[in-house]
This record gives sequence, structure tokens and C-alpha cells, in this order.
Amino acid sequence: MTVLVAYAPASEGREALSEGIKEAHLRKSDLLIVNIGRGHHDLEPQEVSVLEARLGEAGLALTIESSVLSDPGDAVIQIAQDRNVDMIVIGLRHRSMVGKLILGSTVQRILLDATCPVLAVRSDKL
Amino acid sequence: MLDSAMAALASLADPSLLIMLLIGTVAGLIMGLIPGLGGTGAVAILLPITFGMEPPQALALLIGALAVVHTSDTVSAVLLGAPGSASASVTMLDGYSMAKKGQAARALTLAFLSSMAGGIIGAVGLTLAIPLARPLVLSFASPELFMLTVLGVSLAAVLSRGNIIKGVSAGLLGLILGMVGTSPTTAEERFTFGSLFLGDGLSLVAVALGIFGLAEIASRASQRRGEKQTISLGGGWGQGIREWLTHWTQVIRGALIGIWAGVLPGVGATAGTWMAYGQAVATAKDKRQFGKGDPRGIVGPESANNSVEAGDLIPTLLFGIPGGVPSAMLLGMLLTYGIQPGPSIITEHLDLMYLIVWSFAIASVLGALLCFLSVKQLAKLTKVPFAILAAGLVAIMLLGSFQEGGQLGDLWIMIILGIFGWLLKSTGFPRAPFLIGFVLAIPLERYYFLTDSLYEGFDWMARPGVMVFLAILILPMIWAFIKFIRARRHTNLDDGHRDEQPEDDEAPLKNSNWSLVAAGIFAVAFAAALISSASFSPEARLVPQLVSTGGLIFSGILLFIEIRRRLHDRTPKADETLAEETEGIRTQPAKAGWTLDAKFALKTFLWMTGFLALTAAFGYLIAVTIFIPAFLLIVARARLKVAIIYTGVLYIVLLALPSLLPIDLPQGWLNTLV
Repeated sequence: MTVLVAYAPASEGREALSEGIKEAHLRKSDLLIVNIGRGHHDLEPQEVSVLEARLGEAGLALTIESSVLSDPGDAVIQIAQDRNVDMIVIGLRHRSMVGKLILGSTVQRILLDATCPVLAVRSDKL
Repeated sequence: MLDSAMAALASLADPSLLIMLLIGTVAGLIMGLIPGLGGTGAVAILLPITFGMEPPQALALLIGALAVVHTSDTVSAVLLGAPGSASASVTMLDGYSMAKKGQAARALTLAFLSSMAGGIIGAVGLTLAIPLARPLVLSFASPELFMLTVLGVSLAAVLSRGNIIKGVSAGLLGLILGMVGTSPTTAEERFTFGSLFLGDGLSLVAVALGIFGLAEIASRASQRRGEKQTISLGGGWGQGIREWLTHWTQVIRGALIGIWAGVLPGVGATAGTWMAYGQAVATAKDKRQFGKGDPRGIVGPESANNSVEAGDLIPTLLFGIPGGVPSAMLLGMLLTYGIQPGPSIITEHLDLMYLIVWSFAIASVLGALLCFLSVKQLAKLTKVPFAILAAGLVAIMLLGSFQEGGQLGDLWIMIILGIFGWLLKSTGFPRAPFLIGFVLAIPLERYYFLTDSLYEGFDWMARPGVMVFLAILILPMIWAFIKFIRARRHTNLDDGHRDEQPEDDEAPLKNSNWSLVAAGIFAVAFAAALISSASFSPEARLVPQLVSTGGLIFSGILLFIEIRRRLHDRTPKADETLAEETEGIRTQPAKAGWTLDAKFALKTFLWMTGFLALTAAFGYLIAVTIFIPAFLLIVARARLKVAIIYTGVLYIVLLALPSLLPIDLPQGWLNTLV
């Protein structure tokens, strides 16, 4: 049993991470983090060790994985399929239709391509 | 139209054309194996041989090589895990993984067949482009042609990888360099410093071989590839063929992506191949095997990198703006034959167009066939360490760039540009816009003056064609600007990444004192061009002044960014915020001074300089017999036996060469005395 969190150092990513931790505790499953930030913005090592300790108390493991695929959306899907995860947790915020059309959207691609349930968390709440 | 196509095919029955095509194909296959050469190196090395030939023969030779360079570059990527060209590094992801599982033959079958199909589909694309573009091209007058040249340089600058400011600076400097020599409007000498041989302008081969060839050698000479274990071919030929047939949609999709990437100036084989890989991953439902040996990861990209070269030819031949670096050189070659690409090639030289198409298609099939037949020998060739190849390559490149003008001055320029090219490569400047700018400089100026004298004021700007091109010119800039703003505000997290390639380590000296020096060189060069152009007559002055003013602005921005970054590096506290703000990427505070690679590269250039000095003193043949063994023994650390045989064979070949081909060997100062 694993929950995959697509993390990026922005409000979307942090929201996804905290929701993913909740989900992992709830399902008593391990947590798998995939960094999708641009330019190697990864989770800081000290944050990782704090997280590991917190999950360890509940007897859950934490792993961080990366993929050879350069597109973060593809990377998330690939790792999810490869590790047979139960759920992907992603954070998202509002995107305009034109913006999505012209610039594309990683979240949209994950939602459409994922072969497991996806939990999407809005970071720009009401 | 069909008549010309058939006539061109019939003309290929001419044995001299067929032989040239065959020689070109074999040469292209061999050069594909040598890391770093790629299509650019292949065309640049073969171009000098064609100087004495008729256009059809020359084109058959060059197209033959260009069509198959990306067929054989897969071999070392699959068997060694060391790609023969940047675009083959994509194939390496899945091909090398497959080879490690003992299925190298399966990977190679997929790659060769896809390369062949990509080449053929590319040739079909080129054929279809002719009737489609014909009415459009024939409606062009000088204002449109002027806009097209501007578009060629600026699109190359904007679409090339890396920083746009760097790309534009490189393109503008290329334009300035292309203006060295006699002005096309007033026949006065510009930027020649009174030197006679600069009056003809810089030799295209010398510039291309310097900026790309020598720079590549210098940055790779330190790699000793011999240590890596080659993987045996294994089995899976039949499986490869069957899989290739089932993935035919991927082949076609990859080829179409390749053609599109080729049509866009500055988007070359590397970017096109990554686009095809991204497409293959995106359309696959089960993504688990990608990077671990998925056939779809080989088929699409391999098909794309061959069709890119055909796609490159579409804007080159029809509009006169090169789609990439190899085709920029082809354009230069056609111009020396007096064949003006664009409207005139469609009306007067349609047979040559179809000859190119047929040569491309035939060479693609031939190349794949030869690869299948000789794969065992090719695999052995990939084991040769690069430093050993480098010795021969330096000798061949120097000989090549001597052919155009027959002057040693060209060779000195080539080495200087080689150092400059290495600096550009290491500090993350795209080099394609530089060469495209160099080739387009004279056409740009000529079309501008034609436009200026035929139209009053800015009336020509109101022509519909011109306005469309202006829109095409501005759109990518707006696009890049939007992306920049979003990156700065950190709102681009969710944006698609499909058009981006993974960051590579091609530019190890980025954000160091080296890039500061590079920016400084740009600024100084533009300033010098601006000052010295003040003495020209008004007609000859206008375009150089415009270009160098623009260049000064861009290189000024570049210099400002570099200096600001240096200052912040000294105060480490502010370092992080600055780096984030300027690039949106956390840059490592680089303190690269004399890195090991830089030392080695500069040492290699010293060797080349020494070789050239020897040539100038004693003549080429004597220089070769001293330089080759010395380089092999000291730099490549080859065995004595290898060095002696290598030198002997090269000496005999060089001795025989002038009687086989129209080639002159440089004579030294000593020879003039005798």
C-alpha cells in the first residue's frame, strides 16, 4: 500500500504533501514522494528527516523517487504505475482555459493519464 | 512537376552521381560514429571535397552523408552507452537498457529500420512541400525575402536552447562576422583591417569547422572512451523487425515531429528527438518500461532525428532560410554555385530539388542496409578512444578549411573561432544562430537595399506577406516573455514541460568567470564593429551599424546580468534570492576557474596552433608526420606501434589525395624557398 505525493516547493506542493500525509496515516500505507519542481527544487533534507520520523512513529515508510523522464507529469505516472501505488495526491490551483490551451497543464495530464485514483487538492481555496 | 521528379530519378542512374551518393553515404555513416561531429561535422568536412564538382555531384555527396549521419550514431549509444551525437542520447535511454539485457540487436534493428523510415518520410515531406509552397514562394518580392532572412536569424536565436539574450547576441555577432569583406552594395571593404585575404570574406568551411568542429574536439579530447565495456550484440533481430512493424504509428508520428522540428530554424535534431520521445511517452498508456528498454522509446526518436535533416531542407531550399546548421552550410554551398535558394530554385533548378529528394530517400535505405551488414565492424570502431580520432580529425579539418581560399589565414581564423566556439559551448551560448547569422548576413543586406530602393519609406512594411512575417517574428518573443514572467512569479509550476528538454551538462562553465569573459568579448566585438563602421560610406554603414547597435544592447544586458551575479556570489547571503529571481532556477554558485576540462581544452588548442605553425613553416605533409605521432603518444597515450601505423597510413593517403580529388595541400614557408 503506497500513497504517491507529487511535491513541489509551492503552496500547491505543500498542500498536496500535508494531504498525502493525512491519507497515508488514514490508509496505514507508505508514502512515496516524487519531486516535480522545476530546476531541481526538491524537498530539503531536514524536512525529509522530520517527515520520516513522523511517519516512522506510525510504522510507515517514506521513499523519494525520481524518473528518467523529463516531463514531471509523465514521471509521476510512470512511478505510480511502476510501484503500483494506490493513490496519487496532487495540488492544483486555478488555471485559465487559454493558459491551459497554450502552455499546457501538468496536473491535467496526470488526472487524465493516471491509472489509479487521484486526489486533487486546491491550494487557492475560497 | 512529375516530369522533373522522374527526370531527376533518371539522372541518378548516371554512374558518377551514384558513386558520389555511395561515397557520401559511407562517409556519413562513419562520421555518425564519431562523437560530436553529427550532421554539421559531416557536411563541413565533405564540403571542401565538392569544390571542384558540378552541383548535382556535390549535392549527391553531401545529401548522402547528411541523410545517414543519424542512422549510425545509434550504434555507440546502444552498445557503449555513449551517444555519437547529442540527438542519439535519447536513444540511449531505452536502447542501452535493452542492450544491457542482452538484446542489443533488437534495439539496433528497431533503430536502423526507424531511421530508414524517418529518412523516407522526410523525403516525402520535402517533396510535398514543393508544390504546396510554390505559389507562396513565387509571390515573394524583395521585402518578403528580406523579412525571411531576418526571420531566419531571429527565430534561430529565439528557438535555440538556452537563454534568448545569449541566442540573439550570438546571431547578431554571426551577422557581423558575415559582413567581413566586400560590401554587396558599394563594393567597399569592411572590417578587413586592410588585409587582402579578408576582402573575400571569411570562409564558410573555416567558420563552421572552427565554431563546431574544433570546439567539439577540444571539449571531448579529454574523454578516453576505451575503458568502457562494449556490450555484445546478442540476439533479437527478428523480434526487432516484428516490433517495428507493430509500432508503425510511432514511426510516422516521430517522423512528422522531426519534419516540423526541422522546418523551425534553430530547432535541430537534438530538440526534435526529445520532442518525439516526449510524444512517445505521452501517448503510451503503460509508461512503466520507458527508460528501461521500451521499443517505443527507440522507434519514434530514431525516426525523428533522420527526418529532421529533411525538414531542415524545406525552409532552406524554398525560402532561403536555413532550418539548421548543416543546411546553413548547404545554403552557403548553393550560393557559391550561383544557385539562389528561394523563388529561383523553384523556377530554374527544380531538377536539383528533386535530385536532393531522391538522394535523401535512396541514401536512407542504403544507410540502413549498410548498417545491418556492417554492424559488427561498426561496433568495433566505437571502441576507439576519442583522443586517437581527434589527431586525424584535426589534420583533416585543417586541410578541409584550406581548400576554399587556399590561404593559411583561413586556418588561423579557424583556430581562433574554435577557441571562441568552445567558449560559447561551455558557457551555454547556442552556436546555431551564430552560423545561421553568418550565412545570412550578405543576403540580408542585399535584400534590404533592394527593398529600400524599390519602395518609398516604409511602404514595404504594409505588404501582407511582410506583416505576416512580422507577426511570426513577434509571437515567439511574446511567448518567451510570458514564460519568463510566469517563471519569475513562480506561477509556472503547472505549465506543460513537453517542449523542454532535460537539463544537460553541456555547459559546465555557465555562470562562472568564463561566461563573464564571453559576455565581455561580445560587448567588445560589437563596440569595435560600431566604431569601425563609422568610417564606411552611408550605404555600407547602415546595416552593420544597426546590427552592432542591437548587439551592443543585448550584450550589455548580458554583461550586466553576469556582473550582478558575480557581485552577489561574493556576498553569499544574497546569492540564493538573486539566482531565484533571475532564472527561476537555483544556480550553484560557480567558482569554476581553471577547471580540468578547461585546461585540457586550451591545451588541445595549443596543440592545434602548434600544428598550424609547423604547417606554415614546413608544409602540411611534414607537419602531419610530426604532429600526429606526437599527439598520439603524448595526449592520447597510444602505443608506439599504433602511432607509427596511424601516421604512415595517413601520410600515404594524404600523398595520394591530391591526385584523386581536387585538393591542395598547404605549402610551408620552407617550400617557397626550395
